[in-house]
Amino acid sequence: MKTDDAERPNMAVSIGRLMLKNPVITASGTFGYGEEFAPYLDLGRLGGMVLKGISEKPRPGNPPPRIAETPSGLLNAIGLENVGVDAFVTEKAPFLETLDTTVIANIFGESADEYARVAGKLTDVKCVDALEVNISCPNVNRGGMDFGADPEQAAEVTRAVKEATDLPVIVKLTPNVTDITAVARRVEAAGADALSLINTIRGMSVDVYTARPRLANVTGGLSGPAIRPVAVLMVWETVQAVSIPVIGMGGIMNARDALEFLIAGARAVEVGTANFVNPAAVLDIIDGIERHLGDAGVDDINDIIGTLDCRRK
Amino acid sequence: MEQMRKRETGIVRSNRETARGHYVIEVELSGVFDVVSPGQFVMFRPGTGETPLLSRPFSVCSQTETGETTKIELLYRVVGTGTARMASLRQGDTVNVLGPLGRGFDMDKGSRLILVAGGVGVAPLIFYAGRRRAQEDGGRVRIIAYVGAADEDSIAGADRLEQYCDEVKIATDDGSRGFRGTVTELFRNDVKHYGKEASVVRACGPRAMLSALAEVLDGHDIACQVSMEERMACGIGACLGCAVRVRLDDGSVGYRRVCKEGPVFDMEDIDWHED
Repeated sequence: MKTDDAERPNMAVSIGRLMLKNPVITASGTFGYGEEFAPYLDLGRLGGMVLKGISEKPRPGNPPPRIAETPSGLLNAIGLENVGVDAFVTEKAPFLETLDTTVIANIFGESADEYARVAGKLTDVKCVDALEVNISCPNVNRGGMDFGADPEQAAEVTRAVKEATDLPVIVKLTPNVTDITAVARRVEAAGADALSLINTIRGMSVDVYTARPRLANVTGGLSGPAIRPVAVLMVWETVQAVSIPVIGMGGIMNARDALEFLIAGARAVEVGTANFVNPAAVLDIIDGIERHLGDAGVDDINDIIGTLDCRRK
Repeated sequence: MEQMRKRETGIVRSNRETARGHYVIEVELSGVFDVVSPGQFVMFRPGTGETPLLSRPFSVCSQTETGETTKIELLYRVVGTGTARMASLRQGDTVNVLGPLGRGFDMDKGSRLILVAGGVGVAPLIFYAGRRRAQEDGGRVRIIAYVGAADEDSIAGADRLEQYCDEVKIATDDGSRGFRGTVTELFRNDVKHYGKEASVVRACGPRAMLSALAEVLDGHDIACQVSMEERMACGIGACLGCAVRVRLDDGSVGYRRVCKEGPVFDMEDIDWHED
Protein backbone atom coordinates (compact mmCIF):
# COMPACT_ATOMS: atom_id res chain seq x y z
CA MET A 1 0.00 0.00 0.00
CA LYS A 2 1.37 3.39 -0.99
CA THR A 3 1.27 6.24 1.45
CA ASP A 4 1.16 9.95 0.67
CA ASP A 5 4.02 11.15 -1.50
CA ALA A 6 5.01 13.52 1.26
CA GLU A 7 5.69 10.58 3.54
CA ARG A 8 7.66 8.60 1.00
CA PRO A 9 11.45 8.87 1.15
CA ASN A 10 13.32 10.66 -1.61
CA MET A 11 14.79 8.08 -3.97
CA ALA A 12 16.29 10.49 -6.52
CA VAL A 13 20.07 10.60 -6.88
CA SER A 14 22.44 12.47 -9.15
CA ILE A 15 25.45 11.18 -11.04
CA GLY A 16 27.13 14.51 -11.67
CA ARG A 17 24.65 16.43 -13.83
CA LEU A 18 22.71 13.25 -14.67
CA MET A 19 19.57 13.08 -12.54
CA LEU A 20 18.01 9.66 -11.80
CA LYS A 21 14.56 9.15 -10.27
CA ASN A 22 16.01 6.31 -8.19
CA PRO A 23 19.43 4.65 -7.91
CA VAL A 24 18.57 1.42 -9.75
CA ILE A 25 19.81 1.09 -13.33
CA THR A 26 19.66 -1.97 -15.59
CA ALA A 27 23.13 -3.10 -16.69
CA SER A 28 24.42 -3.26 -20.24
CA GLY A 29 23.97 -6.55 -22.07
CA THR A 30 21.28 -7.76 -19.70
CA PHE A 31 18.37 -5.57 -20.78
CA GLY A 32 18.64 -5.47 -24.58
CA TYR A 33 17.48 -2.08 -25.86
CA GLY A 34 14.61 -2.01 -23.36
CA GLU A 35 11.96 -3.17 -25.80
CA GLU A 36 12.42 -6.85 -24.88
CA PHE A 37 11.35 -6.02 -21.30
CA ALA A 38 8.43 -3.71 -22.08
CA PRO A 39 5.85 -6.54 -21.77
CA TYR A 40 7.09 -7.30 -18.24
CA LEU A 41 7.47 -3.96 -16.46
CA ASP A 42 6.74 -0.25 -16.69
CA LEU A 43 10.11 0.98 -17.97
CA GLY A 44 9.29 4.45 -16.65
CA ARG A 45 9.91 3.21 -13.11
CA LEU A 46 13.60 2.52 -13.73
CA GLY A 47 16.25 4.84 -12.38
CA GLY A 48 17.93 4.33 -15.72
CA MET A 49 18.70 1.83 -18.40
CA VAL A 50 22.11 1.06 -19.91
CA LEU A 51 21.73 -0.31 -23.43
CA LYS A 52 23.45 -3.31 -24.96
CA GLY A 53 26.93 -2.29 -26.14
CA ILE A 54 27.01 -0.46 -29.47
CA SER A 55 29.96 -0.50 -31.87
CA GLU A 56 30.53 1.40 -35.11
CA LYS A 57 29.85 -1.60 -37.38
CA PRO A 58 27.52 -4.53 -36.68
CA ARG A 59 29.18 -7.43 -34.85
CA PRO A 60 27.93 -11.03 -35.23
CA GLY A 61 29.14 -12.19 -31.80
CA ASN A 62 30.83 -15.43 -30.78
CA PRO A 63 29.86 -19.00 -31.79
CA PRO A 64 27.70 -20.99 -29.34
CA PRO A 65 27.70 -22.19 -26.65
CA ARG A 66 28.00 -18.66 -25.34
CA ILE A 67 26.88 -19.15 -21.74
CA ALA A 68 27.26 -21.65 -18.89
CA GLU A 69 25.96 -21.58 -15.34
CA THR A 70 28.56 -22.01 -12.59
CA PRO A 71 28.05 -21.97 -8.80
CA SER A 72 25.93 -18.85 -8.09
CA GLY A 73 27.21 -17.40 -11.34
CA LEU A 74 26.82 -17.02 -15.06
CA LEU A 75 29.79 -17.37 -17.37
CA ASN A 76 29.29 -15.65 -20.72
CA ALA A 77 31.14 -14.95 -23.92
CA ILE A 78 28.54 -13.26 -26.12
CA GLY A 79 31.17 -11.26 -27.99
CA LEU A 80 29.35 -7.91 -28.14
CA GLU A 81 26.86 -9.00 -30.79
CA ASN A 82 25.06 -5.81 -31.86
CA VAL A 83 23.46 -4.13 -34.85
CA GLY A 84 25.96 -1.26 -35.09
CA VAL A 85 25.39 2.41 -34.34
CA ASP A 86 23.58 3.34 -37.58
CA ALA A 87 20.99 0.55 -37.26
CA PHE A 88 20.62 1.44 -33.57
CA VAL A 89 19.67 4.98 -34.50
CA THR A 90 17.07 3.96 -37.09
CA GLU A 91 15.70 0.72 -35.56
CA LYS A 92 16.07 0.93 -31.77
CA ALA A 93 16.13 4.62 -30.81
CA PRO A 94 12.52 5.45 -31.86
CA PHE A 95 11.09 3.12 -29.18
CA LEU A 96 13.40 4.56 -26.52
CA GLU A 97 12.22 8.08 -27.36
CA THR A 98 8.71 7.14 -26.18
CA LEU A 99 9.97 6.37 -22.64
CA ASP A 100 10.23 8.55 -19.56
CA THR A 101 13.46 6.87 -18.44
CA THR A 102 17.10 7.90 -18.32
CA VAL A 103 18.82 6.10 -21.20
CA ILE A 104 22.55 5.47 -21.10
CA ALA A 105 24.14 4.14 -24.28
CA ASN A 106 27.04 1.72 -23.79
CA ILE A 107 29.73 2.13 -26.44
CA PHE A 108 32.55 -0.08 -27.60
CA GLY A 109 35.41 0.29 -30.09
CA GLU A 110 38.60 -1.35 -31.27
CA SER A 111 40.48 1.95 -31.21
CA ALA A 112 40.18 5.27 -29.40
CA ASP A 113 39.06 6.82 -32.70
CA GLU A 114 36.26 4.30 -33.08
CA TYR A 115 35.02 5.02 -29.55
CA ALA A 116 35.03 8.72 -30.42
CA ARG A 117 33.11 8.22 -33.69
CA VAL A 118 30.39 6.13 -31.98
CA ALA A 119 30.19 8.69 -29.16
CA GLY A 120 29.84 11.49 -31.70
CA LYS A 121 27.00 9.75 -33.54
CA LEU A 122 25.08 9.00 -30.34
CA THR A 123 25.42 12.55 -29.03
CA ASP A 124 22.85 13.71 -31.57
CA VAL A 125 20.34 10.96 -30.72
CA LYS A 126 17.54 12.50 -28.69
CA CYS A 127 16.84 9.54 -26.37
CA VAL A 128 20.46 9.15 -25.23
CA ASP A 129 21.10 10.97 -21.93
CA ALA A 130 24.62 9.74 -21.18
CA LEU A 131 27.32 7.38 -22.42
CA GLU A 132 28.89 4.44 -20.64
CA VAL A 133 32.25 3.60 -22.16
CA ASN A 134 32.98 -0.12 -22.16
CA ILE A 135 36.73 -0.52 -21.80
CA SER A 136 36.28 -3.76 -19.93
CA CYS A 137 34.69 -6.52 -22.05
CA PRO A 138 36.76 -9.70 -21.58
CA ASN A 139 35.26 -11.52 -24.59
CA VAL A 140 36.57 -9.77 -27.67
CA ASN A 141 39.94 -10.11 -29.36
CA ARG A 142 40.66 -6.43 -29.86
CA GLY A 143 39.69 -3.46 -27.73
CA GLY A 144 37.53 -3.97 -24.67
CA MET A 145 39.57 -5.08 -21.70
CA ASP A 146 42.85 -4.29 -23.48
CA PHE A 147 42.05 -0.62 -22.93
CA GLY A 148 40.64 -1.00 -19.45
CA ALA A 149 43.53 -3.01 -18.04
CA ASP A 150 46.10 -0.36 -18.94
CA PRO A 151 45.72 3.00 -17.13
CA GLU A 152 47.36 4.95 -19.99
CA GLN A 153 45.11 3.48 -22.72
CA ALA A 154 42.04 3.82 -20.49
CA ALA A 155 42.83 7.51 -20.15
CA GLU A 156 43.37 7.87 -23.91
CA VAL A 157 39.95 6.40 -24.71
CA THR A 158 38.33 8.58 -22.04
CA ARG A 159 39.91 11.74 -23.51
CA ALA A 160 38.86 10.79 -27.05
CA VAL A 161 35.24 10.22 -25.99
CA LYS A 162 35.10 13.42 -23.93
CA GLU A 163 36.30 15.43 -26.94
CA ALA A 164 33.63 13.84 -29.15
CA THR A 165 30.59 14.43 -26.93
CA ASP A 166 29.03 16.86 -24.47
CA LEU A 167 26.98 14.09 -22.85
CA PRO A 168 27.97 12.87 -19.36
CA VAL A 169 30.61 10.16 -19.78
CA ILE A 170 30.65 7.15 -17.45
CA VAL A 171 33.66 4.85 -17.86
CA LYS A 172 33.04 1.17 -17.04
CA LEU A 173 36.03 -0.48 -15.41
CA THR A 174 37.29 -4.04 -15.43
CA PRO A 175 38.04 -5.94 -12.22
CA ASN A 176 40.73 -7.93 -14.06
CA VAL A 177 43.57 -5.74 -12.81
CA THR A 178 45.86 -5.74 -9.80
CA ASP A 179 44.78 -2.28 -8.63
CA ILE A 180 41.52 -0.90 -9.93
CA THR A 181 42.12 2.45 -8.22
CA ALA A 182 45.15 3.11 -10.44
CA VAL A 183 42.95 2.91 -13.55
CA ALA A 184 40.14 4.82 -11.80
CA ARG A 185 42.41 7.77 -10.96
CA ARG A 186 43.79 8.05 -14.50
CA VAL A 187 40.32 7.89 -16.03
CA GLU A 188 39.14 10.59 -13.63
CA ALA A 189 42.10 12.78 -14.54
CA ALA A 190 41.27 12.26 -18.24
CA GLY A 191 37.89 13.87 -17.70
CA ALA A 192 35.40 11.09 -16.95
CA ASP A 193 32.22 12.34 -15.29
CA ALA A 194 31.61 9.07 -13.44
CA LEU A 195 32.80 5.47 -13.14
CA SER A 196 30.86 2.23 -13.19
CA LEU A 197 32.22 -1.06 -11.88
CA ILE A 198 32.69 -3.93 -12.01
CA ASN A 199 32.42 -5.60 -15.40
CA THR A 200 32.64 -9.40 -15.38
CA ILE A 201 35.57 -11.29 -13.88
CA ARG A 202 37.40 -13.54 -16.36
CA GLY A 203 36.56 -17.19 -15.89
CA MET A 204 36.51 -20.62 -17.44
CA SER A 205 34.70 -23.90 -16.95
CA VAL A 206 35.48 -27.39 -18.25
CA ASP A 207 33.16 -30.27 -19.13
CA VAL A 208 35.02 -33.18 -17.54
CA TYR A 209 33.20 -35.82 -19.61
CA THR A 210 34.23 -34.36 -22.97
CA ALA A 211 37.41 -32.59 -21.78
CA ARG A 212 36.17 -29.52 -23.63
CA PRO A 213 35.64 -25.96 -22.40
CA ARG A 214 31.96 -25.24 -21.68
CA LEU A 215 32.13 -22.09 -23.78
CA ALA A 216 33.08 -22.16 -27.47
CA ASN A 217 35.17 -19.05 -26.79
CA VAL A 218 37.03 -21.13 -24.13
CA THR A 219 37.13 -18.21 -21.67
CA GLY A 220 34.31 -15.92 -20.56
CA GLY A 221 33.24 -13.33 -18.05
CA LEU A 222 31.65 -14.28 -14.74
CA SER A 223 28.65 -12.43 -13.32
CA GLY A 224 26.03 -13.15 -10.67
CA PRO A 225 26.09 -13.46 -6.86
CA ALA A 226 29.43 -15.31 -6.98
CA ILE A 227 31.25 -12.04 -7.75
CA ARG A 228 29.38 -9.72 -5.38
CA PRO A 229 31.95 -9.55 -2.53
CA VAL A 230 34.70 -8.78 -5.04
CA ALA A 231 32.54 -6.03 -6.53
CA VAL A 232 31.66 -4.47 -3.17
CA LEU A 233 35.36 -4.36 -2.27
CA MET A 234 36.38 -2.71 -5.53
CA VAL A 235 33.59 -0.15 -5.33
CA TRP A 236 34.56 0.70 -1.76
CA GLU A 237 38.24 1.10 -2.72
CA THR A 238 37.41 3.19 -5.79
CA VAL A 239 35.03 5.52 -3.94
CA GLN A 240 37.90 6.45 -1.63
CA ALA A 241 40.35 6.93 -4.50
CA VAL A 242 38.36 9.34 -6.69
CA SER A 243 36.01 12.27 -6.23
CA ILE A 244 33.69 11.60 -9.21
CA PRO A 245 30.54 9.49 -8.60
CA VAL A 246 30.82 5.71 -8.73
CA ILE A 247 28.06 3.36 -9.93
CA GLY A 248 28.38 -0.07 -8.33
CA MET A 249 27.44 -3.43 -9.77
CA GLY A 250 28.20 -7.12 -9.50
CA GLY A 251 25.74 -9.86 -8.58
CA ILE A 252 22.92 -7.68 -7.20
CA MET A 253 19.86 -9.93 -6.91
CA ASN A 254 17.73 -8.04 -4.36
CA ALA A 255 17.39 -4.78 -2.42
CA ARG A 256 19.73 -5.90 0.36
CA ASP A 257 22.49 -6.56 -2.18
CA ALA A 258 21.94 -3.13 -3.74
CA LEU A 259 22.11 -1.47 -0.31
CA GLU A 260 25.53 -3.06 0.30
CA PHE A 261 26.92 -1.09 -2.64
CA LEU A 262 25.13 2.14 -1.68
CA ILE A 263 26.36 1.97 1.91
CA ALA A 264 29.88 1.27 0.60
CA GLY A 265 29.66 4.55 -1.32
CA ALA A 266 28.13 3.89 -4.74
CA ARG A 267 25.75 6.70 -5.79
CA ALA A 268 23.71 4.27 -7.85
CA VAL A 269 23.75 0.60 -8.77
CA GLU A 270 23.39 -1.44 -11.92
CA VAL A 271 21.48 -4.73 -11.93
CA GLY A 272 22.44 -7.33 -14.52
CA THR A 273 22.13 -11.09 -14.17
CA ALA A 274 19.03 -10.72 -11.98
CA ASN A 275 17.11 -9.45 -15.04
CA PHE A 276 17.60 -12.89 -16.61
CA VAL A 277 16.15 -14.69 -13.61
CA ASN A 278 13.10 -12.43 -13.34
CA PRO A 279 12.42 -9.74 -15.96
CA ALA A 280 10.76 -7.56 -13.30
CA ALA A 281 13.58 -8.02 -10.72
CA VAL A 282 14.52 -4.32 -10.75
CA LEU A 283 11.06 -3.30 -9.57
CA ASP A 284 11.37 -5.57 -6.53
CA ILE A 285 14.78 -4.01 -5.86
CA ILE A 286 13.48 -0.42 -6.16
CA ASP A 287 10.51 -1.18 -3.88
CA GLY A 288 12.75 -3.05 -1.44
CA ILE A 289 15.18 -0.14 -1.09
CA GLU A 290 12.29 2.27 -0.50
CA ARG A 291 10.87 -0.07 2.13
CA HIS A 292 14.26 -0.32 3.82
CA LEU A 293 14.46 3.49 4.04
CA GLY A 294 10.98 3.61 5.55
CA ASP A 295 11.80 0.90 8.10
CA ALA A 296 15.04 2.66 9.03
CA GLY A 297 13.31 6.03 9.34
CA VAL A 298 15.52 7.59 6.67
CA ASP A 299 13.73 10.07 4.41
CA ASP A 300 16.39 10.45 1.70
CA ILE A 301 18.36 7.74 -0.11
CA ASN A 302 21.33 10.11 -0.20
CA ASP A 303 21.55 9.82 3.59
CA ILE A 304 22.36 6.11 3.18
CA ILE A 305 25.05 6.47 0.52
CA GLY A 306 28.60 6.14 1.85
CA THR A 307 27.57 5.57 5.45
CA LEU A 308 29.79 2.53 5.91
CA ASP A 309 31.09 2.46 9.47
CA CYS A 310 34.42 0.66 9.69
CA ARG A 311 35.26 1.61 13.26
CA ARG A 312 36.18 -1.23 15.55
CA LYS A 313 33.50 -1.96 18.09
CA MET B 1 -2.67 -0.36 -20.72
CA GLU B 2 -2.30 -3.90 -21.99
CA GLN B 3 -2.11 -6.65 -19.38
CA MET B 4 1.52 -6.90 -18.29
CA ARG B 5 3.13 -10.30 -18.57
CA LYS B 6 4.95 -11.63 -15.54
CA ARG B 7 6.87 -14.54 -14.20
CA GLU B 8 4.25 -16.70 -12.52
CA THR B 9 4.38 -18.75 -9.37
CA GLY B 10 3.08 -22.24 -10.07
CA ILE B 11 2.33 -25.20 -7.84
CA VAL B 12 3.68 -28.68 -8.54
CA ARG B 13 0.77 -31.12 -8.88
CA SER B 14 2.84 -34.18 -9.71
CA ASN B 15 6.42 -35.05 -10.63
CA ARG B 16 7.08 -38.66 -11.59
CA GLU B 17 9.76 -40.72 -13.31
CA THR B 18 8.23 -42.22 -16.46
CA ALA B 19 11.36 -43.81 -17.93
CA ARG B 20 14.86 -44.21 -16.54
CA GLY B 21 16.11 -40.72 -15.71
CA HIS B 22 13.11 -39.13 -17.47
CA TYR B 23 10.43 -37.24 -15.54
CA VAL B 24 7.12 -35.55 -16.24
CA ILE B 25 6.27 -32.61 -13.98
CA GLU B 26 2.78 -31.15 -13.90
CA VAL B 27 2.48 -27.51 -12.78
CA GLU B 28 -0.68 -25.59 -12.02
CA LEU B 29 -0.71 -21.91 -13.00
CA SER B 30 -3.21 -19.08 -12.85
CA GLY B 31 -5.86 -18.75 -15.55
CA VAL B 32 -4.13 -15.69 -17.06
CA PHE B 33 -1.33 -17.92 -18.36
CA ASP B 34 -1.56 -17.69 -22.16
CA VAL B 35 -2.58 -20.47 -24.49
CA VAL B 36 0.58 -22.31 -25.54
CA SER B 37 1.33 -23.22 -29.16
CA PRO B 38 3.05 -26.60 -29.59
CA GLY B 39 6.78 -25.93 -29.84
CA GLN B 40 6.70 -22.94 -27.50
CA PHE B 41 8.63 -23.19 -24.24
CA VAL B 42 8.72 -21.87 -20.70
CA MET B 43 11.59 -20.75 -18.47
CA PHE B 44 11.33 -22.85 -15.32
CA ARG B 45 13.05 -22.80 -11.94
CA PRO B 46 12.29 -24.02 -8.43
CA GLY B 47 10.65 -21.26 -6.37
CA THR B 48 13.24 -21.11 -3.61
CA GLY B 49 17.01 -20.95 -3.28
CA GLU B 50 19.73 -19.49 -5.49
CA THR B 51 20.80 -22.85 -6.95
CA PRO B 52 20.31 -23.16 -9.80
CA LEU B 53 20.66 -19.44 -10.39
CA LEU B 54 19.05 -19.29 -13.80
CA SER B 55 15.81 -20.73 -15.10
CA ARG B 56 15.96 -23.59 -17.58
CA PRO B 57 14.04 -23.69 -20.86
CA PHE B 58 11.59 -26.57 -21.45
CA SER B 59 9.21 -27.18 -24.33
CA VAL B 60 5.66 -27.59 -23.14
CA CYS B 61 4.34 -31.17 -23.42
CA SER B 62 0.67 -30.47 -22.72
CA GLN B 63 -1.68 -27.76 -21.51
CA THR B 64 -5.05 -28.33 -19.82
CA GLU B 65 -7.19 -25.27 -19.19
CA THR B 66 -9.85 -25.49 -16.53
CA GLY B 67 -11.14 -21.92 -16.46
CA GLU B 68 -9.68 -20.60 -13.21
CA THR B 69 -6.34 -22.33 -13.65
CA THR B 70 -4.22 -23.87 -16.36
CA LYS B 71 -1.97 -26.91 -16.03
CA ILE B 72 1.12 -27.58 -18.08
CA GLU B 73 3.31 -30.65 -18.28
CA LEU B 74 7.07 -30.61 -18.91
CA LEU B 75 9.06 -33.70 -19.79
CA TYR B 76 12.72 -33.63 -18.77
CA ARG B 77 15.77 -35.79 -18.28
CA VAL B 78 18.10 -35.37 -15.32
CA VAL B 79 21.43 -34.26 -16.75
CA GLY B 80 22.88 -31.74 -14.29
CA THR B 81 22.38 -29.70 -11.14
CA GLY B 82 19.29 -27.87 -12.40
CA THR B 83 17.34 -30.94 -13.49
CA ALA B 84 18.47 -32.92 -10.41
CA ARG B 85 16.96 -30.17 -8.26
CA MET B 86 13.85 -30.28 -10.44
CA ALA B 87 13.49 -34.03 -9.90
CA SER B 88 13.46 -33.47 -6.13
CA LEU B 89 10.38 -31.21 -6.30
CA ARG B 90 7.28 -32.60 -4.57
CA GLN B 91 3.56 -32.07 -4.90
CA GLY B 92 2.66 -28.66 -3.45
CA ASP B 93 6.11 -27.10 -3.98
CA THR B 94 6.16 -23.68 -5.64
CA VAL B 95 8.02 -23.01 -8.87
CA ASN B 96 8.64 -19.99 -11.14
CA VAL B 97 7.37 -20.17 -14.69
CA LEU B 98 7.86 -17.54 -17.40
CA GLY B 99 6.05 -18.05 -20.67
CA PRO B 100 4.85 -19.23 -23.05
CA LEU B 101 7.83 -18.03 -25.07
CA GLY B 102 9.19 -18.18 -28.60
CA ARG B 103 7.87 -19.34 -31.93
CA GLY B 104 6.04 -22.68 -32.05
CA PHE B 105 5.51 -25.06 -34.96
CA ASP B 106 3.27 -23.98 -37.84
CA MET B 107 0.19 -26.23 -37.76
CA ASP B 108 0.21 -28.33 -40.92
CA LYS B 109 -2.78 -29.02 -43.12
CA GLY B 110 -1.49 -32.09 -44.99
CA SER B 111 -2.97 -35.57 -44.98
CA ARG B 112 0.22 -37.14 -43.65
CA LEU B 113 2.33 -35.85 -40.75
CA ILE B 114 5.67 -37.30 -39.72
CA LEU B 115 7.17 -36.69 -36.30
CA VAL B 116 10.84 -37.40 -35.55
CA ALA B 117 11.85 -37.28 -31.88
CA GLY B 118 15.13 -37.87 -30.09
CA GLY B 119 15.09 -38.34 -26.30
CA VAL B 120 13.16 -35.59 -24.47
CA GLY B 121 12.61 -33.95 -27.87
CA VAL B 122 9.41 -35.98 -27.87
CA ALA B 123 7.78 -33.42 -25.52
CA PRO B 124 6.62 -30.74 -28.01
CA LEU B 125 5.73 -33.43 -30.56
CA ILE B 126 3.27 -35.07 -28.14
CA PHE B 127 1.67 -31.64 -27.75
CA TYR B 128 1.69 -31.07 -31.51
CA ALA B 129 0.15 -34.47 -32.34
CA GLY B 130 -2.64 -33.93 -29.83
CA ARG B 131 -3.41 -30.43 -31.11
CA ARG B 132 -3.28 -31.64 -34.73
CA ARG B 133 -5.75 -34.45 -33.98
CA ALA B 134 -8.08 -32.00 -32.24
CA GLN B 135 -8.06 -29.69 -35.26
CA GLU B 136 -9.05 -32.38 -37.77
CA ASP B 137 -11.99 -31.33 -39.83
CA GLY B 138 -13.25 -33.76 -42.45
CA GLY B 139 -10.15 -35.44 -43.88
CA ARG B 140 -8.27 -37.54 -41.37
CA VAL B 141 -4.54 -36.95 -41.03
CA ARG B 142 -2.24 -39.96 -40.87
CA ILE B 143 0.42 -39.37 -38.18
CA ILE B 144 3.57 -41.49 -38.09
CA ALA B 145 6.09 -40.95 -35.30
CA TYR B 146 9.74 -41.99 -35.13
CA VAL B 147 11.14 -42.09 -31.62
CA GLY B 148 14.79 -42.59 -30.72
CA ALA B 149 16.29 -43.51 -27.33
CA ALA B 150 19.45 -45.04 -25.89
CA ASP B 151 17.73 -48.25 -24.83
CA GLU B 152 14.33 -49.74 -23.99
CA ASP B 153 14.27 -48.41 -20.41
CA SER B 154 14.88 -44.80 -21.44
CA ILE B 155 12.13 -44.45 -24.04
CA ALA B 156 10.08 -41.50 -22.82
CA GLY B 157 6.69 -40.41 -24.09
CA ALA B 158 6.15 -43.09 -26.76
CA ASP B 159 3.00 -44.27 -24.97
CA ARG B 160 1.67 -40.71 -25.04
CA LEU B 161 2.32 -40.47 -28.77
CA GLU B 162 0.42 -43.71 -29.37
CA GLN B 163 -2.81 -41.98 -28.30
CA TYR B 164 -2.60 -39.70 -31.33
CA CYS B 165 -0.46 -41.52 -33.91
CA ASP B 166 -1.37 -44.22 -36.40
CA GLU B 167 2.06 -45.68 -36.04
CA VAL B 168 4.96 -45.17 -33.58
CA LYS B 169 8.29 -46.57 -34.75
CA ILE B 170 11.05 -46.96 -32.19
CA ALA B 171 14.81 -46.99 -32.59
CA THR B 172 17.24 -47.78 -29.77
CA ASP B 173 21.01 -47.49 -29.89
CA ASP B 174 21.45 -51.01 -28.47
CA GLY B 175 18.50 -52.62 -30.26
CA SER B 176 16.79 -53.56 -26.98
CA ARG B 177 13.52 -52.41 -28.55
CA GLY B 178 12.58 -51.77 -32.18
CA PHE B 179 15.18 -50.83 -34.76
CA ARG B 180 18.82 -51.07 -33.70
CA GLY B 181 20.45 -47.75 -34.55
CA THR B 182 19.55 -44.10 -34.62
CA VAL B 183 16.10 -42.71 -35.24
CA THR B 184 17.33 -40.94 -38.38
CA GLU B 185 18.68 -44.22 -39.81
CA LEU B 186 15.25 -45.77 -39.19
CA PHE B 187 13.59 -42.81 -40.90
CA ARG B 188 16.05 -43.00 -43.81
CA ASN B 189 14.70 -46.47 -44.66
CA ASP B 190 11.18 -45.06 -45.09
CA VAL B 191 11.74 -41.59 -46.53
CA LYS B 192 11.47 -42.62 -50.19
CA HIS B 193 7.83 -43.63 -49.58
CA TYR B 194 6.86 -40.18 -48.44
CA GLY B 195 5.92 -37.84 -51.27
CA LYS B 196 6.19 -34.12 -50.63
CA GLU B 197 2.55 -33.28 -51.44
CA ALA B 198 1.17 -35.29 -48.59
CA SER B 199 3.95 -35.13 -46.02
CA VAL B 200 5.40 -32.64 -43.58
CA VAL B 201 7.97 -33.35 -40.89
CA ARG B 202 8.13 -31.89 -37.38
CA ALA B 203 11.25 -32.80 -35.44
CA CYS B 204 12.87 -32.17 -32.07
CA GLY B 205 15.97 -33.66 -30.51
CA PRO B 206 19.69 -33.15 -30.00
CA ARG B 207 21.48 -31.09 -32.63
CA ALA B 208 23.39 -34.13 -33.95
CA MET B 209 20.07 -35.90 -34.59
CA LEU B 210 18.55 -32.90 -36.35
CA SER B 211 21.69 -32.45 -38.41
CA ALA B 212 21.49 -36.12 -39.50
CA LEU B 213 17.80 -35.61 -40.32
CA ALA B 214 18.70 -32.67 -42.55
CA GLU B 215 21.03 -34.97 -44.46
CA VAL B 216 18.34 -37.66 -44.81
CA LEU B 217 15.80 -35.15 -46.11
CA ASP B 218 18.28 -33.51 -48.48
CA GLY B 219 16.93 -33.80 -52.04
CA HIS B 220 13.50 -35.05 -50.93
CA ASP B 221 11.74 -31.69 -50.92
CA ILE B 222 9.64 -32.52 -47.85
CA ALA B 223 8.83 -29.47 -45.69
CA CYS B 224 10.39 -29.81 -42.24
CA GLN B 225 10.41 -27.68 -39.11
CA VAL B 226 12.81 -28.39 -36.27
CA SER B 227 12.84 -27.26 -32.65
CA MET B 228 16.38 -26.28 -31.63
CA GLU B 229 17.98 -26.43 -28.21
CA GLU B 230 20.64 -24.09 -26.80
CA ARG B 231 21.62 -22.87 -23.35
CA MET B 232 19.59 -19.80 -22.38
CA ALA B 233 19.82 -17.27 -19.59
CA CYS B 234 16.74 -15.06 -20.07
CA GLY B 235 14.40 -16.69 -22.63
CA ILE B 236 13.10 -13.30 -23.81
CA GLY B 237 15.70 -12.19 -26.32
CA ALA B 238 17.95 -10.02 -24.17
CA CYS B 239 21.01 -12.06 -23.21
CA LEU B 240 21.90 -13.25 -26.74
CA GLY B 241 23.19 -16.45 -25.12
CA CYS B 242 21.14 -18.90 -27.18
CA ALA B 243 22.59 -18.11 -30.59
CA VAL B 244 22.13 -20.58 -33.44
CA ARG B 245 23.90 -20.16 -36.75
CA VAL B 246 21.60 -19.65 -39.73
CA ARG B 247 21.94 -19.12 -43.47
CA LEU B 248 20.93 -15.61 -44.45
CA ASP B 249 19.20 -14.60 -47.68
CA ASP B 250 22.41 -13.21 -49.16
CA GLY B 251 24.17 -16.57 -48.72
CA SER B 252 26.22 -15.53 -45.70
CA VAL B 253 25.76 -16.93 -42.20
CA GLY B 254 24.64 -15.12 -39.07
CA TYR B 255 23.14 -15.83 -35.67
CA ARG B 256 19.53 -15.96 -34.56
CA ARG B 257 18.13 -16.31 -31.04
CA VAL B 258 16.64 -19.72 -30.27
CA CYS B 259 14.38 -18.06 -27.67
CA LYS B 260 12.94 -15.38 -29.95
CA GLU B 261 13.22 -16.26 -33.64
CA GLY B 262 12.94 -19.94 -32.56
CA PRO B 263 12.99 -22.43 -30.95
CA VAL B 264 11.20 -23.69 -34.09
CA PHE B 265 12.99 -22.97 -37.37
CA ASP B 266 12.49 -24.12 -40.94
CA MET B 267 15.08 -26.83 -41.44
CA GLU B 268 16.63 -25.14 -44.49
CA ASP B 269 17.31 -21.93 -42.54
CA ILE B 270 19.73 -23.58 -40.11
CA ASP B 271 23.43 -23.76 -40.96
CA TRP B 272 24.14 -27.39 -40.09
CA HIS B 273 27.91 -27.23 -40.57
CA GLU B 274 29.86 -27.59 -37.37
CA ASP B 275 32.49 -24.99 -36.53
